[in-house]
Amino acid sequence: MHYIKKDLAAYNLHLIKTKKFKTISVRIVFHTPIKKEEITSRNILTDLLLQSSKKYKSRRELTIKSEDLYAADISTSNRRLGNYIFTSFSLQTLSDEYTEKGNLEATLEFLSEIIFNPDITNKEFNFEKLGIVKNNATVALNSLKEDATGYSLIRMTEAYDKNSPVSYRMIGYDKDLEAITTETIYNTYKKMLNNDYVDIFVVGNFETKEMTELIKKHFKFRMLKKKKEEYILPAKKPRKRRLIAKETIDNTQSKLAIACSLNKLTDYERHYALILANIIFGGGTDSKLFKEVREKNSLCYTIRSSYNKLDNLLLITAGIDKKNFEKATDLITKNLNNMKKGKFTKKDIDMAKEFYKTSAEEVEEREDRIINEYLLREILKTEELKERVEKINKVTKQEIVKACKKINMDTIFLLEGVKDESN
Amino acid sequence: MKAINLSGLDKVCYSEQLKNGLEVFMIPYDNKKNYFISFATRFGSDILEWTKNHKSFKPPLGVAHFLEHKMFEQEDGIDPFTFFSESGTDANASTSFDNTQYICSGTKNFNENLKFLLRFVNNPYYTEQNVEKEKGIIAEEIKMYEDIPDFKLEMHLRENIYKNSPRRLDIAGTVSEIKKITKDDLYSCYESFYIPNNMFILIVGNFDPDMAVSIIKNELDYKERKELPKVKEIKEIKTVNVKEETIKANIETPKIAIGLKVPTKDIDIEDLELDLYLNMLTTILFGSSSEFRENARTDKLLNSIYLEWESIPDTKVFYLMASTQKPDLLIDKIKEELKNINISESTFNRIKKVWIANEVKMIDSIDATVSNVFDDIIRYGTIVPKKLDIIRKMKVSILEDLIKNINFDNLSIVKMLKKK
Repeated sequence: MHYIKKDLAAYNLHLIKTKKFKTISVRIVFHTPIKKEEITSRNILTDLLLQSSKKYKSRRELTIKSEDLYAADISTSNRRLGNYIFTSFSLQTLSDEYTEKGNLEATLEFLSEIIFNPDITNKEFNFEKLGIVKNNATVALNSLKEDATGYSLIRMTEAYDKNSPVSYRMIGYDKDLEAITTETIYNTYKKMLNNDYVDIFVVGNFETKEMTELIKKHFKFRMLKKKKEEYILPAKKPRKRRLIAKETIDNTQSKLAIACSLNKLTDYERHYALILANIIFGGGTDSKLFKEVREKNSLCYTIRSSYNKLDNLLLITAGIDKKNFEKATDLITKNLNNMKKGKFTKKDIDMAKEFYKTSAEEVEEREDRIINEYLLREILKTEELKERVEKINKVTKQEIVKACKKINMDTIFLLEGVKDESN
Repeated sequence: MKAINLSGLDKVCYSEQLKNGLEVFMIPYDNKKNYFISFATRFGSDILEWTKNHKSFKPPLGVAHFLEHKMFEQEDGIDPFTFFSESGTDANASTSFDNTQYICSGTKNFNENLKFLLRFVNNPYYTEQNVEKEKGIIAEEIKMYEDIPDFKLEMHLRENIYKNSPRRLDIAGTVSEIKKITKDDLYSCYESFYIPNNMFILIVGNFDPDMAVSIIKNELDYKERKELPKVKEIKEIKTVNVKEETIKANIETPKIAIGLKVPTKDIDIEDLELDLYLNMLTTILFGSSSEFRENARTDKLLNSIYLEWESIPDTKVFYLMASTQKPDLLIDKIKEELKNINISESTFNRIKKVWIANEVKMIDSIDATVSNVFDDIIRYGTIVPKKLDIIRKMKVSILEDLIKNINFDNLSIVKMLKKK
C-alpha cells in the first residue's frame, strides 16, 4: 500500500495505491462544524441529490445509469465525528481492465454530475423530489423506537448532556424537517459546496498522474481555507452523583445504556492506553463484561462497551430483563472498579494488544476501512498505523490503570420494557 | 486434492473429501493477510423429528440453536473465545434453518486456530448446570428479536405461507420450549448430526491449502462415517396456508409483507438456474431500477422495501416486505404488477451485467466470498464454479416460459398496523 497526499488548494487529495482490489473506491468527504439545526437539512440534501440530477431526471434513471456503468455503487452518508458533521459521497466501481476502457472516467463523471449538477431551477430544488425525500424522513423519524437499542442510546445521551453534540440526533428533528423548502435546501447545498472542508480519497490500482488529472478534471471546488475548530469535544465535568434515568417502552426486553465521561485524558491515553482498557473491559470478544455479566450470571445476550475518543466518552449497552436492572448495573460498576484497581492480568493485556493488531492488519483488506483510517489520521494527526501498533505493544498495565481512573460513570439509562411476557 | 477454477474470477477452489465423508473447500488468496474458517453441519432448525436405531427423537424447539451456544463449553475449561482472543482472532457461531456453523477469522496463528476450531466442535461437554445457565441468555436473545417489528412481521408471514414446514417457526425456538431442553437432548442431536459425512469445512483467504488439509486429516481422519438418522419428512402444501391477516404492533408507519408461494415440482429447470431466473423476475419487477419502484416512490407509497427468495424441497417462496403509509394501495399495486408482467430484453441484459460485475467485486472481499460460497454449498450441495457462465447464458425466452408456470395468485399477505 502506497499513500500520497496532494494539496490541491481547495482540497486535499489522498491517493492510496494498492493492488489488492479489482475496484477503484472514491470518497468525497465534506466537513464542517456541526450545528444541531442543520443536521436534518444535510440528510435531506444528500438524499435529494440521489433522487435526480439535471441530466438524469429520476431515481430510476440514475440507477439505470449506474447499472450501465457495470454496477457502479454510489452512496452518501452523514455522520458526526466530535465537533464536526461529515458528509460523504462514496463510489465503488470495477477497474477498466474488468470492464471497458473509459468506464472509470465515465463513472467519475457520473459522480460529479450528482454532486455538481443537481436538479435545480432558479435556485430551487425540484419540489416533487423534495416531497418524496421529506416524506421518507418523516417516516424514519416516526419509526425511531423500532430500533430500541438506538433509541435508548439517543435518550441516554440526551440525559447525559442535552447541549453537547454527543446528544444530537443524527436522524434529524421534526421541527427542522418541516421548515425545509426547495429554497432552504438550495442554501444548504450552496453552503456545503462553498464553506465545507473537502478531502477526496481514492483507493485502488491506478497511475498517480492519471488519477490526479481525472479527479482535478471532474471535481472542482472553490473554497477558502479557514482556521479549524477543535475536532475533539471538550471533556464533561464529572457529576457528583451519577444520574439514573428511566423511560418505558412496550417491549419485552429492556435496554440498558450507560455513559461514562473521560476526563483529562492525555493524547497518549486517548490513542493508546484507553483503547486497550476498552477492549479488556467490554470491547473485545473475550471481555470482562461479556464473561461476568453474560457468561457467569446469564443476565443478557448482548453486552458491550464502546470507546469514542473524539467525544471523550465510553458507552456501555446491554439488553436485559427489567428485573435484573440493579444486578446488572452493580456488576458493570464492579467490573469498572476492578479495571481501576488493576484487577486484570498480563494475559488480558496481551490479548487486547493482539486484538488491536489484528484489526490494524485487517485495515488494508477493505477499502472503506482504508479510507476511514486515512480520514481519521488527517483530522486527529495521529501517527501511522504501523507506529501506532508498535506503541500499543509497549503500553503497560500501570498506564492502563491510570487511564481507567479517568473513567467516570455519569448517566445510567434504562429503556424499560413493560410488555407483559405472558402475552 | 482437486483444483477447480472459479470461472472469470481469477481464483481456484481446492476441494478434498476425507474417507469418512467430511468435505473441505479452500480458496486461498496470495494478496490478503486475513483468513476465514467455517466448520459447518447441515443441521439447523428445519430438523424437528427423526429416528435412529428404531428410536424416535423429538426434542424441544430451538434445540439446534441451543446446541450451538453450548458448543463453546469445554471440559478442559479452555474457553474458545479466550483461546482465539490470544491471537486476536475473532470467533463466532450461527444457526440457521438448514445449517449451523462455527467460524473464526483473523490474520495470525492459522494452523493452531484451525486445529482448535476442529477440536472444540468435536468435543461436546454438556452438563445439567451449564445447560441451565444458558437458558437466561437465550431467553434474552429470543426477547430481543420479538421486540423487533420487522421480525414479528416476517414470522407472521411465515406462519401464513407454510402450513407444515418448520420454516414457519423461529430458529431460536420459544422461551417456554427452550426451558425444557436437557443435556440429553443436546447429546442426541450432536451424535446424530455432528458427524463427518454431514459436515464440511470452508476456508478462504491467507493460508496454505496443503497444510490445512494435513491438519484436518490429522484431527478428523479417525472419525468414522455414520449413518444419518432418518429425518421425518414434512410435506408442505402447494397453496398458502392463510391468505390474509392484519396484525397490530408498536409502529407508527404501517408495514406489509407479501409471500408468493411457487411449487416447483412441475418446473423443468435445474435448481440453480431456477433460482437465478426467479431472482431475475423479481429484480426486474421490484428491484431498485424497476418502474414499480419509481412509481411507488413518486406516489409516496413506499418508504422501504426488502426482497428475498427462500427454497425448501419442491417449493420456493418470494418475500416482499415494505413500510408504507398506504398499505392497501401498495398491496393493490404489487398484485397488479404480478398480473401484467412484461420482460424487456434490454432490462434483462442490464441486470445480467450487474450480477456479473457484482460477482467480480465480491471475490475481492474474503467475508463476501465466504458467505456466497457457503450459501452455494448449503443450497446446491457443492460450490458453483461456473456461475458467471451460467448467468451469461440466461435467456429471456426461458424466463417467459417460466412465468407461464407460476400462479401469481398464490399469495399470502400480512398487514401490520399501529397499535392503538
